Amino acid sequence: MFPVVNWSLISLETIIGLVLVCLIIVDIILPKNTSKDWIGHLSFVALSFLIIFWITQSSLSGTTFNGMFVMDQLAWFFKAFFLVAMVFVFAMTREYFKTLGERRNEFYFLLWLALLGMCLVASSADFLLMFIAIETLTISLYVMTAYLKTDKLSIEAGMKYLILGALSSGFLLYGISFLYGSTNTTNFALIKAFANTNAMSSVTLFALVMIFAAVGFKIGAVPFHMWVADVYQGAPTPVTALLSVGSKAAGFIFLMRLFFGVIPAWHMQWGMTLAVLSAITMTLGNLVAMYQTNIKRLFGYSSIAHAGYLLMGAAAGTVLGATGINFYLLGYLFTNLAAFLVIIVFSGIEKTDDIADYAGLVKRSPLLGITMILSLVSLAGIPPLAGFFGKFTLLMAVVKSGYVWLALIAAVNIVISTYYYLVVAKRIYVDEPRISTPLTIPTEIRLLLVMAILGIILIGIFQGPFFDVAMNAAKAL
Amino acid sequence: MITPDLSWFLILPLLGLGLVCLTPAEETCRIRKISNITILIPFILSVWVYAAYDHSLGGFQFLVNIPWVAPLGISYHLGVDGINSLLLLLVGAASFAASLISSSIKTRVKEYYILLLITVISTYGAFLSLDIFFFYFFHEIAAVPVFLMINIWGSARREYAAMKLTLFLVAGAALALIGLIALYLNTGIQSFDLVQIQRELAIHPIPMAIQNWIFVLIVLGFGITVTLWPFYTWATVGYSEAPTAISMLHAGVLKKMGAYAILRFALVLMPQAAHAWMPIIAALAIFNILYCGFVAFTQRDLKYVLSYSSCSHMGYILLGLACFNVIGLNGVVYLMFAHGIMAALIFAITGYVEEQTKTRNLDELGGLLKVMPFIGTCFMMVAFASAGVPGFGNFVAEILVLLGAWDHYHFLTILAVFGLVVTAIYLLKAIRLGFQGPLKPEFQKLTDTTTLAAKFPYVMLMALLILVGCLPTVILSHIDSSTRTIAAIIK
Repeated sequence: MFPVVNWSLISLETIIGLVLVCLIIVDIILPKNTSKDWIGHLSFVALSFLIIFWITQSSLSGTTFNGMFVMDQLAWFFKAFFLVAMVFVFAMTREYFKTLGERRNEFYFLLWLALLGMCLVASSADFLLMFIAIETLTISLYVMTAYLKTDKLSIEAGMKYLILGALSSGFLLYGISFLYGSTNTTNFALIKAFANTNAMSSVTLFALVMIFAAVGFKIGAVPFHMWVADVYQGAPTPVTALLSVGSKAAGFIFLMRLFFGVIPAWHMQWGMTLAVLSAITMTLGNLVAMYQTNIKRLFGYSSIAHAGYLLMGAAAGTVLGATGINFYLLGYLFTNLAAFLVIIVFSGIEKTDDIADYAGLVKRSPLLGITMILSLVSLAGIPPLAGFFGKFTLLMAVVKSGYVWLALIAAVNIVISTYYYLVVAKRIYVDEPRISTPLTIPTEIRLLLVMAILGIILIGIFQGPFFDVAMNAAKAL
Repeated sequence: MITPDLSWFLILPLLGLGLVCLTPAEETCRIRKISNITILIPFILSVWVYAAYDHSLGGFQFLVNIPWVAPLGISYHLGVDGINSLLLLLVGAASFAASLISSSIKTRVKEYYILLLITVISTYGAFLSLDIFFFYFFHEIAAVPVFLMINIWGSARREYAAMKLTLFLVAGAALALIGLIALYLNTGIQSFDLVQIQRELAIHPIPMAIQNWIFVLIVLGFGITVTLWPFYTWATVGYSEAPTAISMLHAGVLKKMGAYAILRFALVLMPQAAHAWMPIIAALAIFNILYCGFVAFTQRDLKYVLSYSSCSHMGYILLGLACFNVIGLNGVVYLMFAHGIMAALIFAITGYVEEQTKTRNLDELGGLLKVMPFIGTCFMMVAFASAGVPGFGNFVAEILVLLGAWDHYHFLTILAVFGLVVTAIYLLKAIRLGFQGPLKPEFQKLTDTTTLAAKFPYVMLMALLILVGCLPTVILSHIDSSTRTIAAIIK
């Protein structure tokens, strides 16, 4: 029997699917060698409408597809998050392919597909749907990572990501099948009900460990972090941005649904394991980031460190912890995307990702320089910027749950990260540029940079409304 | 009576910040004017607040309270009592003087004033906040502007100095933050509001076992900010390499945030732990006074002498905090003010000398009093003030601290008195080498400050220093009710 489907709940995914199909049709109709970026324009228009549409849908809630698909505040929050992230990624793509030109349209299709995957992740209430959603996202990312056919680094990154990603998918499926074997279901709610009446068996434990390995791969937590730096460096920069924000957030949604929704029913003490992983992840990420000379690699390791900070919220295992994760990701969205926007514009003109070449950036383009500095300072967690309040909430969550030692390790990490962020900030702001020609930025990018700066500052100063949204999302778990 | 709205202290510099941002970078004259005016008005306001504060009534007045992050109990809560209204005056005077003497900055003027204004907002905000979260928030804002300013306008070893200073302060702040969060979580009232927490903890103090480690985190964290021995090394190199305005503001004002935080959050909120730990702090404070004093004596660089001197004087503040009596606390608050003005003044003078002579090495200087009678006289006077000569604010403050300390620590107090002698020795040496003796030929053509406008910042700070030195009651009657309340809590 085909289940009764409540279409209003999956309206966003449906529209995204339709947009994708329409765009493909447009691409076929369009003359082959038009120089105008029609698909990019249309994507922007569609995305703007989607965001407006989605803001009006904030009260949507319920489940459909026999409980596989859930629409709650968490899903709403993260879908909005992904839509905003995509605005930046689309703009980056346009900017990035200005110099490359060819095969641009397929890239847009892959981005739309990735967006579809991410939105589905936000709403998955079933391991099977979660798997499909994550694969939709990841497979488009594989293709995009290796998109630069002639670039060795890009090919290597794609290969590395594909092999390790496939391995982690294998883990995930293996875990899911074991979990199905022991609980007779893949649905989160039913597993929870099962757990309330049955004790944890060793098979279930094995299954959960497998699944956690797959999640760890997605968020780039130690010891599943080996791919991060190489892929971040080699992938086309818009993909790096998407990986660092979208893919990471998707991983954390899965993690939260798992550790706040399903697993607590077994009354297991995962907190300590997560706390230890969090400590190792942030320390390793920060220590290695100190020695990077390539800005994309620096952000790669810094993103490992941030995964470590975010894991603090999961270790805390409370509503406050989940709120912290949500808020932190929100701040991270603007902060990181602003930084990648700068990287794309800069490397588009200068053809380099060396940190040394960023010397005196603020003199060559004040807007680029200031955006980069603000985002670095925000990542370091210094007020009044967005990154500070996220760290504050996460620290509070772990201290509240009794992991004072973890908070102290985080404090040491904050100092280490401040060091390498400030080294870059100093290079941009203080040092003399090697070449002093001013950089010109397209208006569209200018607008987005200003938006990102506003996001970073507003979230950092007027934390209240953003905190409420993050908390509502966390309460849905 | 009309009472001032405390938010203006933040809005006006913020407005100035906005205006400076909008002004084209070439119009340096207008930028300087905007900055001076938007820093001057809060200074006048601070005088008004100081005068309007009713010290017979005591407690916190002129409250502004807006809920900010309701689920966590964070509110934008401003208010002043005797202590922070006095410190506002310090911020006002020091920041205005710093803005005025910044006229010697010629490169990247616009950025300079933007960063300066952010630093000023940070200091006002920290001293105005009655919400622990916002205190921390404002106190941390200064970190990056100071880092950038030292890096751009600092002297020879600026890169090293800026990084060292910032990392030490960030480390201290992070430790303190964890302490403050733990404090918040253990009050059990879901509020960062200082007044509410104070009320709650007076009835239900935190268990001693928990107090102990929270207290250590907070005192260690903010202790780094007040250059508690042995965590002072960032300050000596930092102040020496920083541009004059930052040396003035940091040694004069920003550093005091640490002492203020220890007083407000550690002593008042956890008095039981304070009694266990503060004697150790008092002992370390003696190291501050004597060790840093002796090191100052060996320095040949004038700015290093003063930086070590500043760390040495923090010892008296820390010693006073360990007294647990009204006299000691009065001394601490008094000294925060007097030392703040004194430090701002002496760094301003040194900045002027360095700018004229292009050196701060005492061996290369000499006889400057002949060509710079005004600046030289100022330096001598402020050096006397620093050494605790009667007639200046520092004398009153240090005497109060020593009297307060005698109650608890006879031996340490005797040692601390020698600190005054050490101070006198190294400052007299600085005067002798720098300002007396034969004038070097290359300095023949140097000029003193000529116009009244150029003299004004020095005269203003000096006048304040003499005023509070000759009329101690102006301050003592003002802060007495507030320190008495605190002394009653921590007895």
